[in-house]
Amino acid sequence: MIKKLLCVIVVFALLCGCAGSTPAAKSGFAPDEEHRLVVYTSHKQEVWQPIVREFERRTGIWVDVVYGATSELLERIERESRDVQADLMFGGGVESLETYRECFTPYTCAGADRLLTQFRCADGLWTPFSALPVVLIYNTKLMEPGLLTGWRDLLAPELQGEIAFTDPSVSGSAFTALMTMLCALPGDRGENLRAFAENLGGVQLDGSGAVLTAVADGSATVGVTLEETALKRIAEGENIAMVYPADGTSCVPDASAIVRGAPHEENARAFIDFTVSAEVQRLLASQFCRRPVLEGVDSLPGSPALDELPAADYDLELAVSERDAVLMSWAFYLVKSEA
Amino acid sequence: MKKRPTLSFKGRLFAAFLLASLVPLLICSAMLLQIFRLRMTEADAVDARERLGSVSAALDRACGGFAAAAESIQDNALLLSAAAGGGPEDTGIYSLLFEYTGSAREYARFDLYDAQGQRRYSTRSGPAPDTLPTDWGVLGAAARQDGLVFAACDSSGGSAPLFQGAAALAAPGGDTAGYLVISLYQSDFHTLLEGNYGSQGTLLLLDPYWRGVYCAQPALGETLVPELRSRLLAGQSLDGAQGDFLYSVQLHPETGLYLILQRTQVFTRETVALLYTVSLSCALACVLVSVLLSLSLSRQMFRPIAQLRAGIHEVERGNLDVSLAQQRGDELGELSEHFNSMVAALKHNQEQLIENQRELNQAQIRMLQAQLNPHFLCNTLDTMKWISKINKVPQVALMSTDLADILRFCISPEEFAPLVRETEILQRYIEIHRIRLSGAVSFDVDLPEELAGCLVPKMILQPIVENAILHGLDGVENGRVEVRVTSSGDGLLRISVSDNGRGLPPEMEGAYRKAVREGSSGHLGLYNVDTILLKYYGEAFGLELKNRPGGGAEVTAKLPVRRKERSD
Repeated sequence: MIKKLLCVIVVFALLCGCAGSTPAAKSGFAPDEEHRLVVYTSHKQEVWQPIVREFERRTGIWVDVVYGATSELLERIERESRDVQADLMFGGGVESLETYRECFTPYTCAGADRLLTQFRCADGLWTPFSALPVVLIYNTKLMEPGLLTGWRDLLAPELQGEIAFTDPSVSGSAFTALMTMLCALPGDRGENLRAFAENLGGVQLDGSGAVLTAVADGSATVGVTLEETALKRIAEGENIAMVYPADGTSCVPDASAIVRGAPHEENARAFIDFTVSAEVQRLLASQFCRRPVLEGVDSLPGSPALDELPAADYDLELAVSERDAVLMSWAFYLVKSEA
Repeated sequence: MKKRPTLSFKGRLFAAFLLASLVPLLICSAMLLQIFRLRMTEADAVDARERLGSVSAALDRACGGFAAAAESIQDNALLLSAAAGGGPEDTGIYSLLFEYTGSAREYARFDLYDAQGQRRYSTRSGPAPDTLPTDWGVLGAAARQDGLVFAACDSSGGSAPLFQGAAALAAPGGDTAGYLVISLYQSDFHTLLEGNYGSQGTLLLLDPYWRGVYCAQPALGETLVPELRSRLLAGQSLDGAQGDFLYSVQLHPETGLYLILQRTQVFTRETVALLYTVSLSCALACVLVSVLLSLSLSRQMFRPIAQLRAGIHEVERGNLDVSLAQQRGDELGELSEHFNSMVAALKHNQEQLIENQRELNQAQIRMLQAQLNPHFLCNTLDTMKWISKINKVPQVALMSTDLADILRFCISPEEFAPLVRETEILQRYIEIHRIRLSGAVSFDVDLPEELAGCLVPKMILQPIVENAILHGLDGVENGRVEVRVTSSGDGLLRISVSDNGRGLPPEMEGAYRKAVREGSSGHLGLYNVDTILLKYYGEAFGLELKNRPGGGAEVTAKLPVRRKERSD
């Protein structure tokens, strides 16, 4: 009897279950696997969106974009190495990509010989996308023009606690800037690192955009950032002026790299080819204030040409090999200066 | 083997009621729910299709207008040269442009760009980019492809166009003279589509790669479109896990736009919950009714059965005064009626038994009374025998010897005696009578050898013979008493005592018991004998009286043939 009752209850539950589940309206509009591409990008939407949409229009490939900070995405790619999700890392400084070189597979793009020589990758692990010189900025209302000229000024006690700088362990560009400074400044690197950390007064910002905001609203007098970001904010009419450090700057490119074992590798290659195409490289200069890496494409209008910039002896290999050591010392000095 | 747990009658009744009421209810509810859902979903889907169809038709009309305008402009040499060469604004060119674009201008802006992507003429005065890259976006697509092509715009701003169509205008030489660009803004889509998809739901237009073009509520579109796209790419249902909304998708082939209509789920969680609640309440009510019904029915059924059970218990304990109350006329009532009559019959039987026992006891008591102090009498008689022998009075000696023998026989503990012994005692008795009555009675015994050992209740012949001598032969000369023992083949022993006396009164003839029952006063001796036979052997045995044809009476004792059982 009890068994029968149980049966009845089970039958009812089944009926209800049938009633409860809608027939899964899986859409037939989804593209097949051959027309898909998963891109992890650290570029802002205003950068990736026009490029991705034009790529979709031209190739018919659906691009699934995952946005995040460079280090976060690279860690994710490393984590997913057993079950690869991403096809392509789009964005991120080359030293970041080099750090995770095990996760990527080399590719020589179409027209690689037309890339500017200083931005070429020796083993084709990454393909450059744009060149981003490190610059110094200052608030035009708080500082007279000409007072800020180079990295040396950032160590002066007058600017103690007045410098906007992003946490280099979070932001790839901040780490590049830090390494640029260490390469540009004469003297012991460790000593310079300590002096700069102490001059920050224990304050570092958590995003590269925050540097511009801090300088623009006067909460910091000077800041360290990338040319692209600075030009964009200046164009928006902020009270910011930009200086190429006289003691030398670096021009580390950001790049794209194909993830090892990518499910849609063919499409990823097509995308990389597209990023170094003349159309996209022209767009970089005209729309995004980024310096193109392709020969024959006009550089930034109104800015000095690449070879006119004071160049620091930036050592990419050092930046890769010493990354952890520098970051550890940095964290150590920063905490100390805070105390 | 494990014993199956058995439910009480009440429990089984309850389960049966529950089954009979709950199963159809549950099945009905589930089916209704299902049908209801299917019908509503279907109706909603049909409705959505119709609405999307009318949106699609509106887009078709617009596209028709655009294509016609593009064709007319392409065919007009003046406009072609104006697009290629530019020059001062010419009212003639504008009037042509306005003429060709016609009513399509209500929901679109038409611009003429030259081959380098420089804007030359516009049908609207609002802000628009003065140059468009010819290798990018919509102009790039138009350059690569003949005819009117459509593309969503990359920049999403309040004043920027959402969607553009472009056609490369071919100069007579074959070169590109310029481009016609048709731009649709948020307000244009609003004008074009509003009212076509009803007030219920939100319309989304997505480009071929499911990136947002237009949403009636731009704020909603910004979050919803990426979500829909990721669901599509992940292969999930567009309706999502929450399921609060339903989405219908239709492709508009000419523009490549996907039309998506978002409606609130008709079959919402709340509705389902309500329906489930109603069903469950009904089920609960069923359970309640089942419990009540089974309780009352089982009580109705159980009460008489319990009464019956209690009655049977009482009877088992020996109480026969039980009587069940009569309340109902159905089978159960009948059952208790039968029980009552059964108990009554049992009681009657038992009373009968007790009565029989009492009567037997009385007869035994009477016999015991007759055995009063027998040893003293026997010894006295022996003494009398010796005194009379010494004093030469032989009759007294004989009589006292006979009397002592009779007495000893009487007081012996055995209840049964062989017939031969019984007849010996009878001889003694007759001897005493002969002396008393001076030899007036002759006595014969006819006992066949094979019947001599038959056992009979002792002293049953003496009262019959006494009766014959005292009553039958009273005042008769040469009286004669005969005892004849016969046995019929069926095990019936007949002991007849006959005399040649006066005979019996006619009402005494027949079975003695019947005569006594009919009121004629019997003799104590015969009565005792008859009763003894009855008690020992049952109704079938007893005394039978009749008159002999030649005068005199014959009393026959009928009893079964029993022999002494010798176990040794």
